Amino acid sequence: MLSDPIVEAEGLGRRYGGRAVVQDVSFRVGRGEVFGVVGPDGAGKTTLLQMLAAILTPSEGHCRVLGEDVRRRAGLVQARVGYMSQGFSLYDRLTVAENISFAADIRDVPKAALAERRTQLLAMAGLERFQDRREGALSGGMRKKLALCANLIHEPPLLILDEPSLGVDPLSRRELWKILEAARAAGRSIVFATSYMDEADASDRVLLLRDGRPLAMGTPAELRASARGRVYRIETAEPAAIERELASDPEVISFQRRSGNEIRAQLRTARPPAISGKAIASIAAVEPSMEDVFTVGSADGAPPMSAPQIASPMQQMEGPVVLTEGVTRRFGAFTAVDKVSLSIRAGEVLGLLGPNGAGKTTLIRILCGLLTPTEGRAEIAGFDVAHQSEAVRTRIGYMSQKFSLYPDLTAHENLGFFGRAYGVARSELESRIGWAVARAGLEQIDERPVGGLSGAVRQRLALACAIVHRPQVLFLDEPTSGVDPLSRFRFWRLIAALASEGVSIVVTTHHLEEATFCDRLGLMMDGRLIAIGALGALMADLGLSTASVEDVFLGFIARERLRDKST
Amino acid sequence: MKLRRMLAFSRKEVLEISRDPFTVAVAIFMPLVMLFLFAYAISLDVENAPLVVVDQDKSAASRDLQARFLNSGYFMLKAAPDDARVAEHALMRGETRAALFIPNGFARRLSRGEPTPVQLIVDGTYATTASILSAYGRAILYAFPGELRLPIQPEVRVWYNPQLRSRDFIVPGLFAVILMAFPPLLTALAVAREKELGTIAQIYASPMTKGEFIAGKLLPYAVIAFLELLIVVGGGLLWFSVPIRGSLLLLIVVGLLYVVCTVSIGLLVSTLVRTQLAAMLVALIVTLMPAFLFSGFVYPIFTMPVAFQSYASAFPTRYFLEASRGIVLRGAGLKEIWAYIAIIAAYTVVVFALAAWRFRKRIA
Repeated sequence: MLSDPIVEAEGLGRRYGGRAVVQDVSFRVGRGEVFGVVGPDGAGKTTLLQMLAAILTPSEGHCRVLGEDVRRRAGLVQARVGYMSQGFSLYDRLTVAENISFAADIRDVPKAALAERRTQLLAMAGLERFQDRREGALSGGMRKKLALCANLIHEPPLLILDEPSLGVDPLSRRELWKILEAARAAGRSIVFATSYMDEADASDRVLLLRDGRPLAMGTPAELRASARGRVYRIETAEPAAIERELASDPEVISFQRRSGNEIRAQLRTARPPAISGKAIASIAAVEPSMEDVFTVGSADGAPPMSAPQIASPMQQMEGPVVLTEGVTRRFGAFTAVDKVSLSIRAGEVLGLLGPNGAGKTTLIRILCGLLTPTEGRAEIAGFDVAHQSEAVRTRIGYMSQKFSLYPDLTAHENLGFFGRAYGVARSELESRIGWAVARAGLEQIDERPVGGLSGAVRQRLALACAIVHRPQVLFLDEPTSGVDPLSRFRFWRLIAALASEGVSIVVTTHHLEEATFCDRLGLMMDGRLIAIGALGALMADLGLSTASVEDVFLGFIARERLRDKST
Repeated sequence: MKLRRMLAFSRKEVLEISRDPFTVAVAIFMPLVMLFLFAYAISLDVENAPLVVVDQDKSAASRDLQARFLNSGYFMLKAAPDDARVAEHALMRGETRAALFIPNGFARRLSRGEPTPVQLIVDGTYATTASILSAYGRAILYAFPGELRLPIQPEVRVWYNPQLRSRDFIVPGLFAVILMAFPPLLTALAVAREKELGTIAQIYASPMTKGEFIAGKLLPYAVIAFLELLIVVGGGLLWFSVPIRGSLLLLIVVGLLYVVCTVSIGLLVSTLVRTQLAAMLVALIVTLMPAFLFSGFVYPIFTMPVAFQSYASAFPTRYFLEASRGIVLRGAGLKEIWAYIAIIAAYTVVVFALAAWRFRKRIA
């Protein structure tokens, strides 16, 4: 196999301007192998994959794909690989069938073979009923599956996939992987990039990429072995107390609550965390997950994070800070949010979970006063969002998925702009910026334009911008999308610190395991809030004693579908 | 170059265009809107300019002179006050373009053969109109029967557009401007859109060659541009009843060459930019602006300073404009305009080659 590699990369690197985006990457991919490139946003995954597809010329090193040099014989490489770029790469005004035919025509698929391959692929993707539908009218998951079909139509020996499951809901993700399994069974090699650590386990070998450099490479088993003895599972009746102790142990890199009474911790050295035995039911070293491997790997050499200081709680409101009663929002005939009623206390963290299009973002926009509800009412700190939106806006902070910062301004200029935009008095601005920077865990802010900062730093800066006016309620729309596990963990610690100061927080996330950082979870589907409560209560509701968040999520969706059918 | 790949690409482009009302509107209606807007709005003719007449003589001769002014079609009577100061005020307020003063004793001096002063004051605020009006006025005054005799008998004739209808020369000029305005814009936007949405990545990572890409993109937009050509030429000649003295076929054939040239410019622009916004700005700067100002469409190139004349020569609009006006107004044939055709052809080849050279199947 290795005598006939599909991909051979040697010291591969790429610079943009003076900045090295990818540096010194070497690896081989054999026939039929699934090779995962895993890393957070900005790690250089896309750049690396573009070089493999010969659509980006490397600045350094050598690379042969399918036996051809990507520099000198780029045309041959481009012609033979399947390359699925990030986002939606097909034509939204063309139908499903037209997109497939187009892909086949430009890739020289024999006319005779086309019909059969198309039928087969679309059947596998569950798209055969939608052949005449425009690509743009499909759901995100369906569009991704179609793009995959378009890249399999010429039966390429190598598939290069850039974050195939980014922004795709968990159900569609499973289907996408089913198609990939079939392609692999047919002998195709697959190189894919992902920021979802759990997907790395689906690969034969994994390259962990961080800041453009390889962090580690090997089979998932080998990588796990490298972190063995540094990951512990703690069962406890008092998780909050244990978490406080873990936070004060400098050897602890990171920890996550898995379910009601289970905590997982990663350490710098191979020893159990220093915690007192009282509340512990059991503590044991466990097999590291890929996420653990990345966390342990990225902490090696990185300074520990200083614990965020918690100031005295702000003046807290009695009663709910956020209150909605039967909030409904329609767009024409489509109901995006359907009779949602909920209330949130001061200092509470509410996680909103649900597939793409469930209405999470619409609900947040209504609560921010950006959209008026068609029916029902919503209040923030006692002010009606529809009629007192000015009063509402000074009391809320909003951080979007895209980290809406101005890339050409420095961190300080961004903070200054958002502070003034939210009406912070000039005399107070500097002290507020200092406060927000400390709260967001940014040790120092430099004079570089924001565009050149790493994803994790921009994420915290966006948080600082959202809190610079000291809001009572903070809305976070997928704040941890595409950020590495360690930065995500640190981000959640900042959120917890803000909540303990009395800020109410509403957060949406695709990373289901993060749900354990929330006090309560709201599960949304088709615009409805199908369940709300603490994770333990939701589990009890389903009659489960121990379950992952994903099981709970899927359990409620299945129950809801059953209910829809019976009515 | 594989025909199947190229045609698949063109077919895809046609499907996309036909499903986008915005593109269809820009492609078909905007050229018509521009044709009508400019053909009606831009008129260099001066007709019925308001004239204040101060007739202090009130004789048969003075009334005759006044009538000659008003019957010329260039002037219309705004007021006929007795007081010269009223005329002065009307000029000051911009209510009249000109004022005619016929002093006391006009008829008497005329009949005695004495020098006869008559004053025509023209508002020079609008310099072009003023020079035309003063020329008209002078012509009327010189032709007035009197003792004034010119040493020579001038016989000035205007050829090709004897009525000096400005619409007759604006419309064939508009063909050149409109076909430079929309086809390159549409083409540049189409490629930039693929870059912006990322759909171009799957074209890069495919067997398609850059020749197939460029030709596949050029073909549908050249067809659209050709339709635009037929629309504006048909609309221009029929609706505005501009007479065409030369061969319509020749105009269409040269026009076809010209639209291939303008679409190629759009392709070249698209290889220089990444976003639709940038494509739009660059397209406007390299196409519409020079087409308006430096093509001789309204402002003649031969009156420009030398530096600007050579700048104007760098854009193809002026050559097609010369050809178009030549065919429509002068009835020029291949013999007279072959040089312009050759320049447009050479220009097309150079632009196309530049676009092909600039286009890379690469992200960066």
